[in-house]
Amino acid sequence: MINFEEELKKFHPSLEIEEAEDAIYNQDLTDMADLLVSLVKEDKETKSDNQ
Amino acid sequence: MICYNCGATLTHNDFCTNCGADVARYKKIMSLANLCYNRGLEQAHVRDLSGAIESLRQCLKMNKNHVDARNLLGLVYFEIGEYVEALNEWVISKNLRPTKNVADDYIGMLQENPTKLDVYSQAVKKYNQALSYCYQGTLDLAIIQLKKVVSLNPKFVQARQLLALLYIQSEEWESARKELNKCQRTDVGNVLTLRYLAEVSEVLDIDDDVNDTKSKKFIPETVKYTLDNETIIQPMNRESKTLSTVVNIVIGIAIGVAVACLLILPARISAAKEGLDESLKKTNEQLDAKTAEITELSQDLDATKKQNEKLMADLDVYTGEGGAMTAMDSLLEAVELYTENPEAVTGVAEALDNIDADTLSKASENFNNVYNMLMGKIGADVGSEYYDSGIKEYQSEMYEDAIADLTKAYAYDNSNGDALFNLANAYRKSEDSIKAIETYEAVIENFPDTEMATRSQQYINELNGD
Repeated sequence: MINFEEELKKFHPSLEIEEAEDAIYNQDLTDMADLLVSLVKEDKETKSDNQ
Repeated sequence: MICYNCGATLTHNDFCTNCGADVARYKKIMSLANLCYNRGLEQAHVRDLSGAIESLRQCLKMNKNHVDARNLLGLVYFEIGEYVEALNEWVISKNLRPTKNVADDYIGMLQENPTKLDVYSQAVKKYNQALSYCYQGTLDLAIIQLKKVVSLNPKFVQARQLLALLYIQSEEWESARKELNKCQRTDVGNVLTLRYLAEVSEVLDIDDDVNDTKSKKFIPETVKYTLDNETIIQPMNRESKTLSTVVNIVIGIAIGVAVACLLILPARISAAKEGLDESLKKTNEQLDAKTAEITELSQDLDATKKQNEKLMADLDVYTGEGGAMTAMDSLLEAVELYTENPEAVTGVAEALDNIDADTLSKASENFNNVYNMLMGKIGADVGSEYYDSGIKEYQSEMYEDAIADLTKAYAYDNSNGDALFNLANAYRKSEDSIKAIETYEAVIENFPDTEMATRSQQYINELNGD
């Protein structure tokens, strides 16, 4: 049986055009490739520190 | 595929041939991103838009620079009514690849149609308003608002789902199912839609079963009755079933005719109208062409008329009264008369009278020479004749005739001062003071120091009232 209150929580306000700019600027664009690159970089730094 | 470290193009090797970076994992991530994109594309093809959004989001989580995935995600968002999300994706895509990007067209499409954009914007605002009504517990207002939203943007899936939820809450199951079916037409794989639909279908199926059972109870197919010791079972409504079959057939035919009238006839009428419109258009074009032709011809006619009038005027100059041809005829007549009888000065003079001074001024030198020669030959005699008759008429107080003859007398013989003086007198007697003064002045000018000149001056003084 559907619980109305619970179901209502699944609906969120839709983005309005005035909020578009903020949404674009605040979007987290980090992807797995970025994470990989940072991991590789950290790994290299750790190795150089140990040496 | 390019190296994440130096940007060089990668080969089949697991390391970058340019900088030596290990790209094995990077390549795997890119492959996975492509896999997600392909899956999202297939889901979008079969309108599983929720699934497509999930797959494309995964793809972008692995490769944020996947422009095609971003553009497709924008399209999918746009399709379910989330146009701001769509714009976000397209704007980011445009930033990633500024040229040769289909996102340009999508953004342009929205920018070129501000009315549509405004409608979408209003739909979103009303949806948010409806959601706040829901939180406040005013569900009736929320339903009204959501109905407006779906009329503004019929593909706004989230709004339809919320409306369906509100219908479910108010136990309007049929309306809820309608909304959910419409949601499913836009997005076939939406889990929320499917779950609500299952719930609604369950309730409605139970209702149907109950109704079927009730209806079955009330329609007995047979009638049982006992006659003596025998129980007779008789089928019920046999005749009425036959009748209903006939009625159904009639209704079917009526529906068929109505469908033919509604579907086929309008098409035929429309085709006939189109044909008529076409023929009317052609006729109008022909009419325009004919009108243009008529205008052109009437212009030509006007030009021809003007040309004809000009030619007639030119011809009149030659053949009309006082024209060159008439003057030539008169001169030839005068020459002929003079050649036949040099004494017949009157006839010659009459012929020469037909040549006016204006024609003479325009005539050739030879014409003038012949004219002057004849005038020289007959001028004195003719002038004398006109003078005599003029004097007689003057004395008889026939001043008008006298003026005509004395004018000719002086014209033929301009040495005849008496003719000019008497002409002036005739003018004076006929009370034409202006002409009289002019003629007296001519006497004074041409015959100065004569008695005529003295008397002319006296008359001028008299006429001027000195």
